[in-house]
Amino acid sequence: MGIFDALDISASGLIAERTRMDVTSQNLANAQSTGYRRQDVVLREAGGTFAGVLGRAIGAGAGQARGVEVAAVVTDEGAQRRVYDPGHPDADAQGYVELPNVNAVTEMTDLISASRAYEANITAMQTAKQMFSKTLELLR
Amino acid sequence: MDLFDTTQIALERALQGTSARQATLAENLANANTPGYVRRDVDFQSSLRAAMGEGKDAVERATWTTVADGSAPLRADGSNVDVEREGASLARAGLEHEALVSVIGARHHILRAAMGIA
Repeated sequence: MGIFDALDISASGLIAERTRMDVTSQNLANAQSTGYRRQDVVLREAGGTFAGVLGRAIGAGAGQARGVEVAAVVTDEGAQRRVYDPGHPDADAQGYVELPNVNAVTEMTDLISASRAYEANITAMQTAKQMFSKTLELLR
Repeated sequence: MDLFDTTQIALERALQGTSARQATLAENLANANTPGYVRRDVDFQSSLRAAMGEGKDAVERATWTTVADGSAPLRADGSNVDVEREGASLARAGLEHEALVSVIGARHHILRAAMGIA
């Protein structure tokens, strides 16, 4: 395992959490957009495919940086909110409007969770950086 | 008499061990929100401790692997990563690394002093 692998791994975590924050913000921004459906990020372990696991098991992939990756951004097919608003241009015959299945509380907790995980990855990166620079002191 | 004794070799191997452990813990943290992720850890101390009793060559050849931690899932999504615990282990690995570097540096200093180049 190379010394810079740790930085690549933490960077993959930063990208994944950043993507979660982006998608959550998009959900919140579109909370009142008719026709919108809530999006959700699916994370998976990088190198978690069959080839990656097999390679690690036989020692072939030992030097590869791993980490996390965004497997997909999926649409939440949960029921839309029906709100009575006959004056709305998208209202149906009964006067109901279908609003997105976005729950502000869920989105806010997701946002906090993503931001905390982002900070944790930053801390891991700082530890790695300190370790490398400390090792370099041996050369002085 | 060799220039570098068993202790020096062991210190340098431990330095590699803390680096490997740091990368593994960073990976656990990167996967803090991955459903079903099983945390991993590196136990280089026990392989080094076993090798220390068998002499310098054994220490130089000592290997360790990344092992999956099979403890029960902590969360509903099947992951057993605890961000606080990973953070604490990470801080520990960092401090161990710092201590090792200081000791190695001090021993290098002694060697240089003995050679009259300090």
